[in-house]
Amino acid sequence: MERTLIAPGVHLSCDPAEKFNRCRISIHFAFPAKRETATAHALLPLVLERGYADCPDMTQLTKKLAKLYGADLTVDARPMGCSHNLCVSVTGIKDKFALEGEPLTREYAAIALGAAFHPYLVEGVFDPQAVEIEKQMLKKALEDEINEKRIYCMRQANREFFGDSPAGVRQEGYLEEVEGLTSRQLTEAYREMLRTANIELMVLGCDAQQTAAVRDALLAELAAVDRAPVPLAKNIAMPRQQPLYKTETYDMVQAKLCMLFTLGEPMKPQELAAVRLAMALYGGSVTSRLFLNVRERDHLCYYCSASFQSFTGSMAVNSGVEHADAARARQAILKELEDLCTGEITDEELEDCRRGLLSGMSGVEDSLGGIESWYYIEVLRGGRVQTPDQARDALRAVTKEEVRSILRRLSLSVSYLLTKEDDHVGE
Amino acid sequence: MLENKQTVLEQAVADRWKVLPSGLTVIVRPMPGYSGTHVIFATRFGSIDRDFRLEDREVHLPAGVAHFLEHKMFEDQDGDAFAKYAKTGANANAFTSFDRTCYLFTATQQLDESLDVLLGMVTHPYFTEQTIAKEQGIIGQEIKMYDDSPEWRLITGLFECLYHSHPIRSDIAGTVESIARITPEMLYDSCRAFYAPGNMVLAAAGNTTMEQILAACARHGLMDPRPEGRVQRLWAPEPMTLAATEKTLTMPVSKPCFGVGFKEEPLASGDLRGEALYDLICSCIVGGMSPLYRRLYDEGLVNPSFGGEVLRVDGCCCILFTGESDEPDRVKQLLLEEIARVRTQGVDREIFTLCKNEKYGQLIENLENVEDSASQMADFALSGQTVAQQITMLAGLTAEDADAALQRILSTDRMATMYILPDGTAPAAEDEEEEE
Repeated sequence: MERTLIAPGVHLSCDPAEKFNRCRISIHFAFPAKRETATAHALLPLVLERGYADCPDMTQLTKKLAKLYGADLTVDARPMGCSHNLCVSVTGIKDKFALEGEPLTREYAAIALGAAFHPYLVEGVFDPQAVEIEKQMLKKALEDEINEKRIYCMRQANREFFGDSPAGVRQEGYLEEVEGLTSRQLTEAYREMLRTANIELMVLGCDAQQTAAVRDALLAELAAVDRAPVPLAKNIAMPRQQPLYKTETYDMVQAKLCMLFTLGEPMKPQELAAVRLAMALYGGSVTSRLFLNVRERDHLCYYCSASFQSFTGSMAVNSGVEHADAARARQAILKELEDLCTGEITDEELEDCRRGLLSGMSGVEDSLGGIESWYYIEVLRGGRVQTPDQARDALRAVTKEEVRSILRRLSLSVSYLLTKEDDHVGE
Repeated sequence: MLENKQTVLEQAVADRWKVLPSGLTVIVRPMPGYSGTHVIFATRFGSIDRDFRLEDREVHLPAGVAHFLEHKMFEDQDGDAFAKYAKTGANANAFTSFDRTCYLFTATQQLDESLDVLLGMVTHPYFTEQTIAKEQGIIGQEIKMYDDSPEWRLITGLFECLYHSHPIRSDIAGTVESIARITPEMLYDSCRAFYAPGNMVLAAAGNTTMEQILAACARHGLMDPRPEGRVQRLWAPEPMTLAATEKTLTMPVSKPCFGVGFKEEPLASGDLRGEALYDLICSCIVGGMSPLYRRLYDEGLVNPSFGGEVLRVDGCCCILFTGESDEPDRVKQLLLEEIARVRTQGVDREIFTLCKNEKYGQLIENLENVEDSASQMADFALSGQTVAQQITMLAGLTAEDADAALQRILSTDRMATMYILPDGTAPAAEDEEEEE
């Protein structure tokens, strides 16, 4: 992957990725998340994905993409710690597979740039009719979060954990604000994004000429924008606190438990390799303590896994447990962490985890999605962009003590339990 | 199809097939430039294979045996297969569906060693009363997890309405009660019946060659001839009537979820053409390009989760439309009106062609990464087809074929409806909870 600065706050990352059958053009907009525009920025992807000035009708756009052999236009928003990230991407098969010799890649670029920079406006604002329809869709999506209990539990735990901090801005939007949002507010939020966001143009699977054409077209679009990029939000960590235990009850068959831990201070980029190994050892793999002991040996849950978010220096442990076993599962999860901090870590288990991680990193560049995710997260994380090979070298050098040092700094902040009525009495 | 395109496609597909003397079908797709290799060892044994005759003896299994067996395959006298994979660095998994069980891994190093773990664990089953009892707890938890999924409850509820006796009525994982009845003998019988090489497919894609995969097969005796298995699946008669026309249950969901299912004549084994045709018809009626979808979407009657799907296994074929809506009956009514209109007027020619275009793109896409590539090869091989045959078959489907099929499918006489209604506990907005 080659990365170059092509304008202030704008980078091009490209990889010809010749082995793939498809190519992918994506435009990432990253900017600090703000409470006051969170709902507008949550609605924006839905409206942008419906159509753009040259193809305003949703059904016609779907047909246009189908004609390009099912090319995929996606506009999505993903929270990355304190940053909001909106990505417009088009993925489709390479020109050589077109049955009638159509110039597919050129079309993909036109659609991606059209969706990002030329939305369908009516009297200078997003089409009010489309905005009203998509507001209803956003409302449904927000109301539906309860249907998937695992995600609901994680979100509720995160809300407690992050509170009013910038990482606590609900980037999925605020249900109570959706109805009052206007086309004008949405348009202003969009213009603000174009003006202030850091932009990463990622072109994968295209040749040099195609890549240059996309780059030039993007720069031409940006020339019409009064750009003033703001620095990306810095990585944070929530301060340590006395653990908060919360319970919600529903008529459900399996209880869900989400435990959030803080590192107490932002993760340093050079600690990443040790963090990866620590997570694999504690709960991020099938050779981890949580999998082998809490799930396989004690049968306390069906799933129990740990993951780390480097942007916020936080670790989440998620599990699905028997209602009556929730308190025991929580204790077992904490005990496994304590054992790793103070007890023995065998060379065998450490090397098993390291081997699994090294193997996984070797396969990162075997998919378009793998390449894009790896490099874009590296960019957002700040510091030097590591290739998978460099990350593998760093991982090989991690010692047992470095792993322990990471785990010892993690302290429980929030434990959130979804369970059925009557079963949390013993909690 | 243009001739040069055919060459490009042949190069893209580039898989090699071999049927070994043991009966095992091996398919390999070397993918130059890739670091990893994905391998799938699949058997035609799924949750619907409950009753069969094995060597003149009838075997009747409780629900959930295929899935239970999948879990137990990871354990033998030497220990856990995951621990063995940990020594190779491979990322391993397995899954069971209605008609197949698949064991798989992705490896970027020590491929031979990982192949040995995979072939060793699947060809050397080991079960005892104790190891079975241990697994019942974990699988019981898994069953409960799915019990909380409205999407899964909707699908299983529709099957219970559409079918009287077909084993698709039962959950893939079974129930806590049914898995309590599993014995080592049942698992060994299942292995003898369905884990014979002649009933299995080994598919590999990525940084490997046919020679490397065959060498692994040789190490595990899969190059040696095996006696033909004497297994016959037994099916209870399934009439074309419905077991029930409607079913309702309540769950903690924010909005009503609904499903409309149509029972169809079973398709012949290996008839992927019929399945592909039904799939295209679904896309024409409710897909993103259809006028019905647009109307439902614009009127706020459905969200993007609304759609149709075709499910076909031995002795069962149905078309299901599922989604969530404040007005499920209104959606159902509009759906039925649209089916009637398309049946009378024929499918929209432009949409039909565009749907075919999408499917073609999907087939090409699935050849791109090692996981999808091996999965696609194994899926088609289990039905006796190749990827190249699929591409040719797709090209041959016409709108007239769809019009003809519409005269016999999606009949309201064979339609059932399933509702999941909110139980009233889901919050409309954030609830404040007391601290403990």
